Amino acid sequence: MRPKLAVLARHLVLAGFSAAIALPLLWVLRVSLTDKLTAYKLPPEIGQIGLHNYAEVLTQYDFGKWFGNSVAVAVAATLVSLPAAAMMAYASARYRTGGWPLLLGVLASQMIPPIVLVLPMFLVFMTLLPVPGLVAITIAHVAVNLPFMAWIMVSFFDADTRSLEEAARSDGASRWQAFRMITVPVAMPGIIAAGLLGFIMSWNEFLYALILGDHGSQTLAVGLASMETHAGVNIAPLAAATLLALAPVLVLLPFLQKYLIKGLSLGALK
Amino acid sequence: MTAATPMEMRDRRFGWMLTAPGLALLAAVVLFPILWAGTTSFFDYTLIMPGYDNFAGFGNYAKAAGDGEFLHAAWITVLFVLAVVSIQFAIGLLVALMLNDTERGKGVYYLILLCPLLINPVVVGLMWRMILHPTLGIVNWLLSTVGIEPVNWLGAPDMAFWTVVLVDIWHQVSFMVVLLLAGLSSLPAEPYEAARVDGASALQRFWHITLPMMKPVIAITLLIRMIFAIKTYDIIYIMTRGGPGTATDLISYFIYRRAFVSLDLGEACAMAAMLLIVIAGMTALLWRTMRTAQDD
Amino acid sequence: MKRILLASLSGLALAAAAQAEEVNILMEAVPDTTYIQQLLPEFEEETGIKVNLEVVNYAEMHTKLVPQLVARSGSYSAIVVDFYWVGEFYKAGWMQPLDDRIEADGFDTSVYVPAMMDLVGQVEGTTYMLPFYNYAMGLLYRTDLLEDEANKAAYLEATGSELKAPETWDEYLRQVAFFTKDGQYGVVNQGLRPDPIAMEWSNYLFASGGSFMDEGWHATFNSPEGVAALETYIKNLNDYGPVGAASFSFDEAFNVFSQGQAYSYITYNFFRAAVDDPSSSAVVGKAEIMGVPGQTPEEGGSLNGAWGWAIPKSSPNPDAAWKFLQWVESPEIAKKRALLGGSPTRLDVFDDEEVIAKYPQTVALKELLLGSHNFPTFTYTPQFVEVLGRELSLAVAGEKTAQEALDTAAAEFDEMAAKDGRQK
Repeated sequence: MRPKLAVLARHLVLAGFSAAIALPLLWVLRVSLTDKLTAYKLPPEIGQIGLHNYAEVLTQYDFGKWFGNSVAVAVAATLVSLPAAAMMAYASARYRTGGWPLLLGVLASQMIPPIVLVLPMFLVFMTLLPVPGLVAITIAHVAVNLPFMAWIMVSFFDADTRSLEEAARSDGASRWQAFRMITVPVAMPGIIAAGLLGFIMSWNEFLYALILGDHGSQTLAVGLASMETHAGVNIAPLAAATLLALAPVLVLLPFLQKYLIKGLSLGALK
Repeated sequence: MTAATPMEMRDRRFGWMLTAPGLALLAAVVLFPILWAGTTSFFDYTLIMPGYDNFAGFGNYAKAAGDGEFLHAAWITVLFVLAVVSIQFAIGLLVALMLNDTERGKGVYYLILLCPLLINPVVVGLMWRMILHPTLGIVNWLLSTVGIEPVNWLGAPDMAFWTVVLVDIWHQVSFMVVLLLAGLSSLPAEPYEAARVDGASALQRFWHITLPMMKPVIAITLLIRMIFAIKTYDIIYIMTRGGPGTATDLISYFIYRRAFVSLDLGEACAMAAMLLIVIAGMTALLWRTMRTAQDD
Repeated sequence: MKRILLASLSGLALAAAAQAEEVNILMEAVPDTTYIQQLLPEFEEETGIKVNLEVVNYAEMHTKLVPQLVARSGSYSAIVVDFYWVGEFYKAGWMQPLDDRIEADGFDTSVYVPAMMDLVGQVEGTTYMLPFYNYAMGLLYRTDLLEDEANKAAYLEATGSELKAPETWDEYLRQVAFFTKDGQYGVVNQGLRPDPIAMEWSNYLFASGGSFMDEGWHATFNSPEGVAALETYIKNLNDYGPVGAASFSFDEAFNVFSQGQAYSYITYNFFRAAVDDPSSSAVVGKAEIMGVPGQTPEEGGSLNGAWGWAIPKSSPNPDAAWKFLQWVESPEIAKKRALLGGSPTRLDVFDDEEVIAKYPQTVALKELLLGSHNFPTFTYTPQFVEVLGRELSLAVAGEKTAQEALDTAAAEFDEMAAKDGRQK
């Protein structure tokens, strides 16, 4: 009886939490199906429901371009920074490379409000390194994400795989092979979590995308924000766009399913 | 220090080889901006008259340290960071523990909790402003159906602070869940099996096995959330602009205004440098406690 | 060899330039931008120049612009300048003088409303901008409530005077109190700091007979008139407005008005068009706009506001940018924009019969603009807006008295004006 009660209690907590997260989004969904007048009408009335806001977002705004740019930047930035950060984290965890000053120094670059870094960075891209806007944004995001990802992964590489690695090494594996074949699979939940959070940071990043981008390289963060204007907020199309912009969750899900959601028990590996 | 053996030498070289790509990337992108900001903090540098003609020494630092409004923003930030990080951690750990032990519906729960993370803070702010509109918002209307007076979510100083905290929790709590859950799912199974054989209770298992082994992940999670919380500015920008009065004037938004409204980059850089020193100090402290706990 | 290389390089560059001249402009998604977007094909056909409008969030425009302007060479051919950036942009030397171009091409600037040229045209006798659209503030009020017979009778009973569109500030305030009844608010305010509250309160200041400063740039807004204006503002917000107005930006406040819950709202004149948009308004045809009334029927209390076109120093192609400016501000296009719903800055457009026939409120909007007052524009205007917004918000939050808040803001204003070398 008791385990059953515990399961029920768990689901109650999780359902309550999910409801707190989802209810505001359901209201956003409702607003996305109506117009501004109905959105603010109380007591709420259903009014005319339709997909016109979705159509408006896709035709009147550059939603497709924003979305494509955001996907390109976030994927590229994650693919570049994740391996670099993983190697850096492993070196620090296993070989104490650079010791704590290195790790601290790396992260220190992200302890400064980006607003004071964006101007010099802009000047660099404007004069020394005139790359297209999307490339500039991606480079900036790599630099922003890498330190955080490295720190996240250090704590996962700390998990005790040393004896496993040593066993592999005495079987003739190189250091690189030991890292690649033993440590990486064991730390996979951490690596995927770091990659996911890096993707999210890049997806939402606003300031660098705003300053370094141009009319062709606006990301979703910048594009959606432009729907707040001097003449008010275009709330209904914005609601529609917000929900459309959640699409990556569904694309990411299979990856996450395998490494994060199913739960990977180290015991199984051993 | 004893002379390194050839083995250690090779270890060391391998370590640096792994570190080099990331380090080179960072050096290429952020080194110059950081040096630039550091230099600028010692000059009377405004965007209206950019130039390094007037060396200010520690003048900008002194000015910032003597600016009551800046110190007030720093204090508000301390309260904000304490509030969001501790509440998010409590909720995040609970949810992560529950999720880790759950099989059915796990994917659905995970999918839902990821959603807020993928919404840009600007949009989060705008959506919550709509939902919390005191006279036209759905929340106050729902409260009114059970006889609760309209809540002045953003218009009264104390309430506005907690509203911003609430919205930040909604937006970022899943960050904690994702990291803590990843940490939980990479824990080894043996200690738990041993504990079960010994007949340890769930609470005992949590306290004596989970918590100690999770320490590094927990420390990093707290640290990163703390840094993000200190850098919070979009939500403030959209929801309160630091008001009413100065009730929600967080330090990052303050520095933002100093740089891009007052155009006083010298002082903004000095403020950023002061912030950096404080956060770096806290990080070093956290790191050391974590390491000593680890090496015990 | 070197010479050949150079020649071919410059030839390449020329070819590239001739092939596709592009004009990049940073704007925001307001109606006036949309109208230009609709008319752009005409320009592109006429000149072969492609125009890219990069649209960003209003509040972030300044942040986006500053690095572009600081750089020796930026990516924007032309920019739009909010009136309160003018002093700063001028002082920093970020805009190109336009006088030579105006003279060479015989562009007529005398058709602009003089207050517009003062605000977003000339600085210290040099023309840096062409006025783009105006957003002088006005009083949106509900005509249906004024015409209601029961209201008329009750108002006559209560005040002994006739219920009509207010001619003076005091009459307006009486109406605000009167219409706060039956779950309806007399007024909705926008108390968010810094610009919503600072801009809105400026109308209260002018309407109460106050001013920001004297001739010698010494602050005068902490005078008794200023204090009265702030006390009135706080009373309106707390007693006659909806809960939470202290945190409202224009969007929240407008929604209260457009849902039909408030009698009046002092706001930017382009919201007049939104009142008649059935997708966002429940008061279509039931509201009108007028200048904010002043102490006497002859005086107005409105705050002026406008955007101007400028060519930045960092413009990669100022000649093409000027071509665009000439086109967009030509009489034909200015009129077409107004016919689409745009907010004019030129007298000839205001007086155009077609425009008036389509939008009768144009007459009232012209009156409003002519009677409006300018905000102090100098190098530190954005900073002053920030300070004023903070202090007004503190007073509204009850953390300072009106006098204390205004004294602090006035002291900081004097300091900035002195630093800018304005004070005499």
